[in-house]
Amino acid sequence: MMTLIINHKKYELDLKGNETLLEVLRDHLGLTGTKTGCEESECGTCTVNINGKAILSCVTFACALEGESITTIEGLAKGELLHPLQQAFLDHGSVQCGFCIPGMIMSAKALLDKNSEPTREEIDYALDGNLCRCGGYPKILEAIWQAGREMKKDQELKDIVNESIELSESVSAKST
Amino acid sequence: MATMVNKEYVNPVGKSVPRIDGKGIVTGQTKYAFDVSFPNMLIGKMIRSPHPHAKILSIDTSKAEKLPGVKAIITAKDTYNIKFGSNEYFFPHTVDQMAIESEKVRYVGDEIGAVAAIDQETAEEAIKLIDVKYELLPHVVDVEEAMKPGAPQIHQSMNNIAVILPVNFGNVDRALKEADYVREDRFYTPAAHQAALEPHVCVGQWEAFSNKITLWASSQAPFKCREALAKTLKMDLNDVRVIKMAVGGGFGGKLEMLPMDFAACLLSKKAGGLPVKICYNREEEFLSSRRKHGMIYKLKSGVKKDGTLLVMTGEVIADGGAYCSYGPTVIAAAIMRIFMVYKIQHFRISGYRVYTNTSISGAMRGFGGVQSGFAIESHMDLLAKGIGMDPVEFRLKNITTPNMVTINKMVLTTNGLRECIEKATQAAGWKEKHGKQKHLCRGLGIGIAADVMGAKMYKSHESAGSIVKVEEDGSVYLFTGAADTGQGSNTALSQIAAHELGVSYSRVRCKAGDTEITPFDTGSFASRVTFISGNATKRAANDAKKQILSVVVEELKLNIDDLNIIAEQVVNAKDNSVVMSFDKALELCYSFNYGRQIIGRGSYNPKTTPVDFRTGEGNVSGSYGFEAQIAEVEVNKETGEVKILKMWDAHDIGKAINPQSVEAQIEGSLVMGIGYTFLENLQFDKKGRPANGNLANYRLPRSMGMPAMESILIETNDPEGPFGAKGMGEASLLPTSAAIANAIEDAIGVRIKELPITPDKIIKALKEKEEQENQEKNEK
Amino acid sequence: MLLNPVKFHTPKTLSEALQFYGSLDHVKLHAGGSFLLNSLKLLKRKGVKTPANIISLHKVEELKGISIDQEKLTIKSMTTIDELFDFPQLEDNFNVFRIVCRNISTQPIRNMATVGGNLTCRYTWTEMPAVMIGLEADLHFMGSDGKSQIIPAEEFFKNAARTDKILTHVTIKRDKKATIAYRRVKKSPYVDIPLLSTFLKTYFDRGRFTNTRVVINNCVAFAQRDHVLEDFLNQNTCANGIAQEALDHLDKTIYSTRSSDYKQHMFRVSIKSALEELIKSSKHSNK
Repeated sequence: MMTLIINHKKYELDLKGNETLLEVLRDHLGLTGTKTGCEESECGTCTVNINGKAILSCVTFACALEGESITTIEGLAKGELLHPLQQAFLDHGSVQCGFCIPGMIMSAKALLDKNSEPTREEIDYALDGNLCRCGGYPKILEAIWQAGREMKKDQELKDIVNESIELSESVSAKST
Repeated sequence: MATMVNKEYVNPVGKSVPRIDGKGIVTGQTKYAFDVSFPNMLIGKMIRSPHPHAKILSIDTSKAEKLPGVKAIITAKDTYNIKFGSNEYFFPHTVDQMAIESEKVRYVGDEIGAVAAIDQETAEEAIKLIDVKYELLPHVVDVEEAMKPGAPQIHQSMNNIAVILPVNFGNVDRALKEADYVREDRFYTPAAHQAALEPHVCVGQWEAFSNKITLWASSQAPFKCREALAKTLKMDLNDVRVIKMAVGGGFGGKLEMLPMDFAACLLSKKAGGLPVKICYNREEEFLSSRRKHGMIYKLKSGVKKDGTLLVMTGEVIADGGAYCSYGPTVIAAAIMRIFMVYKIQHFRISGYRVYTNTSISGAMRGFGGVQSGFAIESHMDLLAKGIGMDPVEFRLKNITTPNMVTINKMVLTTNGLRECIEKATQAAGWKEKHGKQKHLCRGLGIGIAADVMGAKMYKSHESAGSIVKVEEDGSVYLFTGAADTGQGSNTALSQIAAHELGVSYSRVRCKAGDTEITPFDTGSFASRVTFISGNATKRAANDAKKQILSVVVEELKLNIDDLNIIAEQVVNAKDNSVVMSFDKALELCYSFNYGRQIIGRGSYNPKTTPVDFRTGEGNVSGSYGFEAQIAEVEVNKETGEVKILKMWDAHDIGKAINPQSVEAQIEGSLVMGIGYTFLENLQFDKKGRPANGNLANYRLPRSMGMPAMESILIETNDPEGPFGAKGMGEASLLPTSAAIANAIEDAIGVRIKELPITPDKIIKALKEKEEQENQEKNEK
Repeated sequence: MLLNPVKFHTPKTLSEALQFYGSLDHVKLHAGGSFLLNSLKLLKRKGVKTPANIISLHKVEELKGISIDQEKLTIKSMTTIDELFDFPQLEDNFNVFRIVCRNISTQPIRNMATVGGNLTCRYTWTEMPAVMIGLEADLHFMGSDGKSQIIPAEEFFKNAARTDKILTHVTIKRDKKATIAYRRVKKSPYVDIPLLSTFLKTYFDRGRFTNTRVVINNCVAFAQRDHVLEDFLNQNTCANGIAQEALDHLDKTIYSTRSSDYKQHMFRVSIKSALEELIKSSKHSNK
């Protein structure tokens, strides 16, 4: 038995050893948001995040991932509240047939979590593993820039809030 | 310029409202046929021929049947041996494929049976245990070899030519003599693959007690699939249900029933009703689904000194693979597109659709127009060069106009081609840049195209039907047979329904492509959905509106012609004063006194004339779309690499129902066109198997290197289209390769006539140009 | 299932990994995994027998990390390509890794693929062999008998990358005097060449080329040195036109094997361009 942490949830699984992460997600756990487009690490539709990095689940052994934090497309929205990337993809019309979208969003998320203001070149390199056969790249780029701006704003707000919490804690500590 | 989403949902036509199905996609919740799974579901696999051409002598499945976990095996003896095809209406003799072949196999991968088992391993193991005896026959892979007398005969047709289309108008021989400048060119466009990210996949289930089948499909044409299943399984249409799930891309490859659809249903029947899922892996996708026709395009044309395009002659040889599929109409479309674009009086091109022992060529986005677009638009530039005329001026001299009938009887009504060319050239700075950037190895090139908005290809009619149902709480259902494969038809049709009905887009839910619930629709092809299904939807919404208004009229003793519904209000049609709210009107409909359900229906079959494929005459479409495309390139003469700096696409779309979606279609087509120009080349080995049949070797375009793209939408407000809309889905793919090839010639003076344009071809052409210039210098 | 049944081992330490490696039969190491899993899937499809045991190095912390001091750069074998690219102190002769890593495969693969895997997977379409030979790197191995071994990169690849040991780390001596240029043809979106790389390193002594290394990857072998070109350069200075003249002094045998005309052309373009870069940086720094 082993434990996989997917979208902040713990899953106890009895694995044989030869399962790819993609198989575990789709066939064992019913998380079908992550797709299979080629099984040869070329198309990127199986992209998930592991410890914040974009990883192809079709060439990852599930059994090597005990204790590591795995995020799939299903883990991005908080209830009804969409992640800025999901919202941006909708706002910019970046979604056509949609099959590439989960993988595309996960690659973009890994990029934006590290760098919320990427240049065109940086986005091209970050997405070079994700195919979109519908050719939606121009609108996908626009969406990523918008999401980056939103995420930067969110982070700045978070920083302000954290700063004021720290400040009030230090004030109350001094006063006691 | 990128269009942002519009969240004003009232009067939604013309607004970039968000995709109606978008949220499910971005959260990973949307289910594709690929995701469908049931308890006790079996996995099916096709049994395929390892030979390119052979007679099937015997099939022994006895060992495989004994393998534990195998639940059903089918071969030809389990079928009615009924052939199916995609051009049965116009070319009945091209109905040549059986879902499970019984006598002969004609390409490596040809299906001769199928197995359903508890898992994939067992199914694959079972296939290894099946003993098939073949008598090998000689095979032929090269299309020109296949046409020679004495070549191996693949079907019954002589010289392996399935169809000859001799399109002939005017007096070609006399016109060639009268021309001031005549030139001949040979162009080559290779085979390619739709390569949708979601592979072909389906789940079939047979219900014992009702003798009914259900197929969960990834399909662009669920009704066509139903029809073929009913025919080959000898069932009534209403006992076959095809449910189109979300489709992860089709691009022409999912426009017909494939053997897998048939096999999944029959295996389920043989397995006592257990659902059977068949999914092609990427290797099978390239081996045995459908592909683009590789074409050899020979052109010989004559022009007058003043730029009049006098005559065009030539020959098109299309590599059709082992069966016909949509082949004949692809060739027809390739040849006849020119009449939508240029006025030409003398024309003779013969098209040959040839069988080879390779995978099956069918429909791929562009439908023959990509190949002919490259050939003709390159040829036009060369003709212009021959008489020293600017390529744009040359085109403007010869283009079709609004409200004219072409020589082959196509009726062009709205025609924004001139405006497209003018706007595109202006935006690109044609006058300032064309011919003036050679020192920077930069160049501009133009390509123009036209497209049909639907075409009666496989049936006598191509009508679409819609139902608009308004529930008592004011929520709206739109039932449409139209197949959204990502182009956004569910969204656009919902916008049309909402706008016509007079309510907010947010009230509408769309149910599409379920043959049991939604009305008939021929499918997503020939860029037909906005125009044809859109008209059906508008009529259905109008019908629903009239039903609501008739209750109001009855209640208030008014005249129905005096009323309308706009922005969620029933209004006086003359002065838009409010009579009552929409919700109030609905309350009235469902009240005790009336109790009227609101079920609006509409169908639309475009006014066209049958195409006579012997002569090429016929008005194939109810409307035509037009565009002009310009590419600006920069060539690195040392490495042969071509960088596209920018592309402009000016497009006559009648009216943009959803501008953002139209832009996405244009950009998507440009990306696919760029891929076909530089990267995509499906090659075959000596046995006719794809030599590069995987994504590592069949390269697809990625974000890197995609140029800036400017879409210019031109609204000519088509009188026949819903709210003036024509639609688009393919047209921006048609002239791309030529625009780029023309731009390369402008940049460095070399002409590439074979796709893909790879750096080695550029280097070779530059070397040859240098050698020729040196030779000319020496001769002087 | 896409992979054949296998016994999957996840050792937590290097000695545990070595123990498994020494005691199990028919075994394969799992580093990044992209090459391994694609191979296993392909072998299964073809009906070829696949390893019974996989030893994953994912949890062996001793094999992770990059460190640098005045003497050398130490890259542990499970360092990913992306981690190497991101390492902030790639100075002097280590700077070349920035461009090398950037152009390996795609981003998700760069996040998974390891330096060790790239060096030991015995696939000739990999980038690191040529670079390591060029930088005169030392490859450090540990056997299941506990004995360590250091093999210079050039020697290792002359022996077709064969080993029965686990690669633990790579060391490269810091070199402030070397001038390096690297060219890699692949990353244009419109060019479809799997891999074509040229690595040039020289030491300018008052304008003269000395101790030059020219390492190319033609995908035929792991990487090959062009001694003919090296000899020519070592007899010359960076005079005008030397980059063009050098193209007449290539070891023809190593470029032409299984190479199209265009590939050979691109080797010439790459070498000329790399030489021009070397010459420019020598003039800039007055070496």
